[in-house]
Amino acid sequence: MEIISVDQIQKLGQQIYQKLGLHFDEKKIYFLKTRVAKRMEALGIEDPRDYVFLVSYADHDGVEMQALANLITTNETYMFREYDQLQAFANHCLPEVLSAKQASGDKTLRIWSAGCSSGEEPYTLAMILQEVFPQSQSWDCTIVASDIDENMLRKVRAARYGQRSVHDVPEEYRGKYLIQEGDEYVVRRRTAALVEPVHLNLNDRMALRTMRGFDFIFCRNVLIYFDDLSRKAVVDHFYNALKPGGYVFLGHSESIGRVTTAFKLKRFENHLVYVKE
Amino acid sequence: MSSLQEYIRKLDDPDEAERIYAAEDIGYLNAAEGVQPLLERLGNESSRAVRDVIFQALTRIDADSTIEGCIGLLGSDDPQIRNQAVDVLRCKQARSIPFLNRVMREGDKNIRKLVLDVLTGVKAGDAEEIYAAALSDQDLNVVITAVENLGGMRAVEFRSQVETLLQADSHPMLIAACLEALVGIGNDSSMLAIRRCFPDLDLLPDFLLASCLKAIAVLGSAREFAEVANLLLVRGRHLRPAILDALTALHPRCQMPDASKALLPAVKAVVEDGDPPLCRYQAVRLLGFWTIDDDVYQFMISCLSNPERLVRLGAAESLRVSGRPGYEFTFAACALKETDDEVLEALKC
Repeated sequence: MEIISVDQIQKLGQQIYQKLGLHFDEKKIYFLKTRVAKRMEALGIEDPRDYVFLVSYADHDGVEMQALANLITTNETYMFREYDQLQAFANHCLPEVLSAKQASGDKTLRIWSAGCSSGEEPYTLAMILQEVFPQSQSWDCTIVASDIDENMLRKVRAARYGQRSVHDVPEEYRGKYLIQEGDEYVVRRRTAALVEPVHLNLNDRMALRTMRGFDFIFCRNVLIYFDDLSRKAVVDHFYNALKPGGYVFLGHSESIGRVTTAFKLKRFENHLVYVKE
Repeated sequence: MSSLQEYIRKLDDPDEAERIYAAEDIGYLNAAEGVQPLLERLGNESSRAVRDVIFQALTRIDADSTIEGCIGLLGSDDPQIRNQAVDVLRCKQARSIPFLNRVMREGDKNIRKLVLDVLTGVKAGDAEEIYAAALSDQDLNVVITAVENLGGMRAVEFRSQVETLLQADSHPMLIAACLEALVGIGNDSSMLAIRRCFPDLDLLPDFLLASCLKAIAVLGSAREFAEVANLLLVRGRHLRPAILDALTALHPRCQMPDASKALLPAVKAVVEDGDPPLCRYQAVRLLGFWTIDDDVYQFMISCLSNPERLVRLGAAESLRVSGRPGYEFTFAACALKETDDEVLEALKC
């Protein structure tokens, strides 16, 4: 197999950004090259130019991009994943929304974790909420955790996680929000009570219409598995599901700007977030 | 009232969410009668979110009126509307070609350029007539866009036309487009055409040299390897990425294990002199072709301890493919100290 040149890997990076919304910079060059090499081997392609062409111009049904996506993304989920983004949520977005609500006397807060898998994300959000805003106990706060897979929702309801799921939970949070039972950790009842598991298919537009009035939507590393038109449709529903001033969070390397022009981009420290005006 | 009529009525609802739902529902109904109301709403709609959904609905409706409506939008003053109309037409694939053919004959230069933007998603062979017209268009921008499309889509049937357009006295933008197109569609005759225009690479301005190097990387031979190697010594730093990429692509094809005396020190200097990290990585990868040389091998081993992660990464990749015995022990020792995930993966894989 020929060496994949820097120019070729940059072209593939552009295609991945345009089609999946995932950004790969030079820190990930080896990661991307090895995954591309795997795909080339599987397809029997020797010349990287042929692969660049396939992805750029000959992948009309998006099958190859999806195969590549499966290699460059991870289904692994754990608590406090993409910590920087959660910091932007905790330090900037959440206080901003809460202070606006306090000023208007509104004591409700609704967060949606869309495509929540086994529930690590919604419970992370619940911990952050209780940490940043202890008064949340006296408010009507809900974190809706939706997934298409009933097996995953059963895990959400159990709120019981292994070591891999909690390895990034800050030490001071562990004792406060989790109870260790043997090798497992159970989310404390007070925290777990904030999370409401809901069965939902993000491709079911009529079901999506019932999701309204949210202040935050988290849909991280989920939309990359959707085709372009479906991805646009889901993001438009997110727009409708949010209250004005509400935020949507995608994965840290995902971009919403190429999917819709409806949201306004805001920058907090090094992180970009999208807000409905 | 039929559901379509109900949805059409809701397109004027004061509630933004209702208008979004109405547009979406019309799209899912896939009813040609919904196209005109959607286009009318688009003209009055201030919400970007609603406009986005209207375009999605137009994408879903499988009717000629959608294509005609979107072609009408190519003349809009709003660039966002023009771009979204291009996206919809692109999704219609070959079905839009008869309509685009007409616009190519009748539209102004901006519309003709947008027609070519639509065609980036369509096989060039299906749009032969449009491309033939575009390559002889009066507007340079239209010609350049057509050349870019044909190169990107590897439309080899247009190779000779592109070679003909490649003239030393053509507009520099057109020359660059032709050179880059030949990367995708060129063959030996293309290389001759390039060398006829530019017999001396050293005299090419930077702007054209970068494009020329891409073509040489794919089409060049041993003669070009020596010339390109010399450029590393005499041209500016900003051209180094293109030069290094060209040499890396040319080397295996040229079967040229010996480098000129000047080349290896020049490539080493790129690794050492603080160029952008990616350029240093390219230099280490290029040096990897000469690891049979003990000096180069030792230099590569020393690169494994370089503070710049991309230099370490390049060295690990190059040494692994070098086939020289003994590197595994060095890798194992380096892995114990390595903190970067990617370099660690390269050392261990």
